[in-house]
Amino acid sequence: MDRRTGRLLQRSRILSQILFTVLFFFLLVRSGGGDAARLWWAGLFFYFDPLFLWVGLLAGPFLRIFLLALAPLLLTLLLGRFFCGWVCPFGALNQFFTWLGSRPGQRRIPVARRPLRLKYLLLVALLAASLFTVQLLGWLDPFSLLTRSAATVVLPGANALLQQALLAGPEPLYELGRRVLLTVTQRTFLQAAGIGVIFFGLLLLNLHRRRFFCNYLCPLGALYGLLARWSLLHLPINDKCRSCNACAGHCTYYGSPFKDYLKSECVLCFNCVADCPEAAIDLRFALPGSGRRPALDLGRRRLLGVSAIGLVAAALPLASPARKAGAHSFLRPPGALTEKEFLKKCIRCGACMQACPTNALQPAVFQAGLEGVWTPVLVPTNGYCEYECHRCTQVCPTRALARLTLKEKKQFKIGTAVIDRSACYTYADGYNCAVCEEHCPVPEKAIRLREVEVHDFRGRLRKVKQVYVVPDLCIGCGICESVCPRTDAPAIRVGAEEEQREIPYG
Amino acid sequence: MKRRTFVRNGILVSSGLLVGPLVRAQAPADVIQVKGASPYEITRRAVAELGGMNRFVARGDVVMVKPNIGWNRTPEQAACTNPEVLRAVIELAFAAGAKKVVVMDNTCHKAEDCYQRSGIEAMARRAGAEVRFSDENRLVAHDFKGEFLGKWPVYRDHLEVDKFINVPILKHHGSSGLTIAMKNLYGILGGNRGKLHRDMGENIADLASGFRSHLVVVDAWRVLVRNGPVGGRLSDVEERRTVIASGNILHADVAAAALFGRDARQVEFLQAAHARKMGEIDIAKIALKSLSA
Repeated sequence: MDRRTGRLLQRSRILSQILFTVLFFFLLVRSGGGDAARLWWAGLFFYFDPLFLWVGLLAGPFLRIFLLALAPLLLTLLLGRFFCGWVCPFGALNQFFTWLGSRPGQRRIPVARRPLRLKYLLLVALLAASLFTVQLLGWLDPFSLLTRSAATVVLPGANALLQQALLAGPEPLYELGRRVLLTVTQRTFLQAAGIGVIFFGLLLLNLHRRRFFCNYLCPLGALYGLLARWSLLHLPINDKCRSCNACAGHCTYYGSPFKDYLKSECVLCFNCVADCPEAAIDLRFALPGSGRRPALDLGRRRLLGVSAIGLVAAALPLASPARKAGAHSFLRPPGALTEKEFLKKCIRCGACMQACPTNALQPAVFQAGLEGVWTPVLVPTNGYCEYECHRCTQVCPTRALARLTLKEKKQFKIGTAVIDRSACYTYADGYNCAVCEEHCPVPEKAIRLREVEVHDFRGRLRKVKQVYVVPDLCIGCGICESVCPRTDAPAIRVGAEEEQREIPYG
Repeated sequence: MKRRTFVRNGILVSSGLLVGPLVRAQAPADVIQVKGASPYEITRRAVAELGGMNRFVARGDVVMVKPNIGWNRTPEQAACTNPEVLRAVIELAFAAGAKKVVVMDNTCHKAEDCYQRSGIEAMARRAGAEVRFSDENRLVAHDFKGEFLGKWPVYRDHLEVDKFINVPILKHHGSSGLTIAMKNLYGILGGNRGKLHRDMGENIADLASGFRSHLVVVDAWRVLVRNGPVGGRLSDVEERRTVIASGNILHADVAAAALFGRDARQVEFLQAAHARKMGEIDIAKIALKSLSA
């Protein structure tokens, strides 16, 4: 292939990366607004992710839509790791940051050969752990990582920065910006700092090693890399080659078609073809065995070793108290399966948090155990479960949250409210309040008032409307807790008492 | 007091004393209550019977029309002001020469949800009003100068308009008994409004006496009679097909309370408003004209 063809392919690849990245963010932002009945597309990228095909196979019942993930698998057998080079939006972001960090005329950002193995070992360890029901693929899967980071850090952070910038400017500009760009209320996430440090840290590491995450950490890239060894598309060198090694100049990953070519690492970026002065690189379909056998040696012992590590690591959370079906201090979103099933299916992507209109769904820190990190929990002090909404159950790509109809969701018991009588104004201080009663969305009212005569905080006998909870009616939406006017801690709290977690599959 | 201030105030007060009775004499009744077949028509009729919108809105005015958009509920669930009533008020304000009409509220549920499901956003836009969301960055301290409610954060949009038209919905309310026009003013407040539920009646009265509603139009087309203020169940809603209009917020609320079946003298916030000399609390002493359209 000559340089012109190479450049054409290169530009097509960049265009494809931009389009897929834009599509990804478009879907993500869109899933935060609009009609909840039509949200199936929110998980589009996830359905094409073979790691989650695997999660679905393990956790059952199998969702047929994940068969879509066979498409990139088959295409990888045909073409190699095109996905990492042409489709993956996180790959594109990493490439963009690598590009930002490499100034022309200076030394290129290097990449090392030995640590390339790391991603394969991580993949094997994660898969081994998932066999033992500890499913942490979503921690590193690029779509999970990007969705989670964008939903909890990038989008809210961009909104906050933009708002501050607009506030500093003239008022009409601020008003316009508020109308067309800003969210009506600033979204807040309790663990944003942690997720943000990891996300921006990963992006900055691109300045140290090019496409750091993709080369060293990405389990999805590793999976495609394993298959790419046997792919039918080859980049052979013809006899025009003068061994100038120009093809290595802008290789996205490692090596070059000329020297130390690793098929498992090639993402078909076509920078090499565009750089070759002699049109010495060809594009040819051939059987896998033919020609050179470029592959990274992972080492049988090493693979066995990390499998063992994965299995042992899986045992740790299994032995943690979080696995006991006893009392726990967190609330799960509506439709959440039993904790064991939920942890198997949840891929920690944060799509539910992005879809939650009231910002109630938050990434867990350690309250749900180590393996529950970044799983969604409902935090009423940050937001409530809106009675007329079932968006989170609609966007969950793996149905760790069962797909409830709005009617089902309205009856789904997330937990139960309890009143702290030592703090509630109507008990402790003897005066009226009833903000929680006002907001209770259950038409029959799960929070009610009864008029009693009590001594108020001045010692005077007076009539007060005390609030009380009807536990059987309470659905645990948490709006009571979110609006309690006490400023130290809410005097009414929703706990997991009587939470409904068994959902018949159907 | 400076002499100049004294003289100026003197002129203002005496001219008020002179003109006041004249205006009252012109006005056919203090409170108009219209029952009829269309929420839009009865609203227009009620304002017309009150002497027309020109009595309240001058040419070139910027007018705030403040409905109750508190909840993510449909018009049928009767937790928010009826969009048709609102449309009539907005159109009348424009017809009276208003330069701009603004519609906004500080909602209890998520604002976008409430604006949308209540049908108010779409209707207000169609009628030509500017729909705004309450913006924390626009809060200013306003002094209500009340015994219970002093300084409190208010969205300055409400202070920057020429006229304020209060368009509440009449409904049941767990803690205050009823919510009508005076309670609707909670929607201009920011801050931790829940704190105002202690001594709520006194706070509502301070709120209404410390912030003027130039005109009150109470939507009682559908009335949530139980499980307010949020409701949700259609069996808790009764069709009363009525609109009440008045220039006096207490009188509007007293008449609406009567329509609801409550004696105003037993409603705490109405007692408190009466004690602040905002008007009569005995419905028999209010010039109420009731008609069917």
